[in-house]
Amino acid sequence: MPVVFFLLLVGEGSGVTHWLEKHLLSCPFKTFTGIDCPGCGLQRSFVALLKGDVWMSFKFYPATLPILALFIFTILHLKFDFKNGAFLIKGMYIFATVIIVTNYLYKIYHHQLF
Amino acid sequence: MSEEQEGQGPNSQPNQENSQNPQNPQWQQNPQGSQGFNRPNPNNPFPPYGGGFGGMQMALPNATIVLVLGILSIVTCCCFYGVVGLVLGIVALILSRKDKQNYLANMSYYTLSSYKNLNAGRVCAIIGLILSGIILLLCVLFAIFFGFSTLTDEEAIRQMLKELQ
Repeated sequence: MPVVFFLLLVGEGSGVTHWLEKHLLSCPFKTFTGIDCPGCGLQRSFVALLKGDVWMSFKFYPATLPILALFIFTILHLKFDFKNGAFLIKGMYIFATVIIVTNYLYKIYHHQLF
Repeated sequence: MSEEQEGQGPNSQPNQENSQNPQNPQWQQNPQGSQGFNRPNPNNPFPPYGGGFGGMQMALPNATIVLVLGILSIVTCCCFYGVVGLVLGIVALILSRKDKQNYLANMSYYTLSSYKNLNAGRVCAIIGLILSGIILLLCVLFAIFFGFSTLTDEEAIRQMLKELQ
């Protein structure tokens, strides 16, 4: 079963990655105004990550990896109950928030939005 | 176990005195907290239930939900002008408030780790709430200042932003 899933992910021009690429949800803010919102790029970045392209993923949206790490760590923490897990989750959350805000300010400053 | 419960009856008077003790300020914050054997006595080496002596402690019922909602509130902070993140954050805060009161009212019932989870979830929810609140506020201000018709027209926005620069 995991092998089948892996093949689905890897298949070029078909499979899960291709389907995701063709079915990205469009952000209502962006469709109305044409301006990126602070969350724009997350899906493109995630697809790039599924393709194995970490650098493109980082360029699309730098906060994807911290957010994914936060998700995985939260699931592990809820299952195994680490000693300082709650504190670490808080720290990672604040880290991800800072990256999101910095990324948006950077985009505004360098006129990548409009 | 039952003997200890019954033995709690005569002890209720010293418990009341302990609640005035400045060493235990959390009991003063919750004067409406449960009475009788539900109230753990910090000076009692044999608490009625649990309390670190091998008794069963429950996890707080909403701790996991609050943590998950709090974390999701940051990811969805930009969906639909920040409304989704706002709703998730508010729900997480309401759920956590009730559980926090529960925990402070009878600490020996619930596990410390679930309380830590609850607090982490609360912090996450507050941050997500603030962020999505800012985004919603910006959208509303944008709509008020430039008119909703401008917002739905890409060309008009480009024009306006060029004039601003």
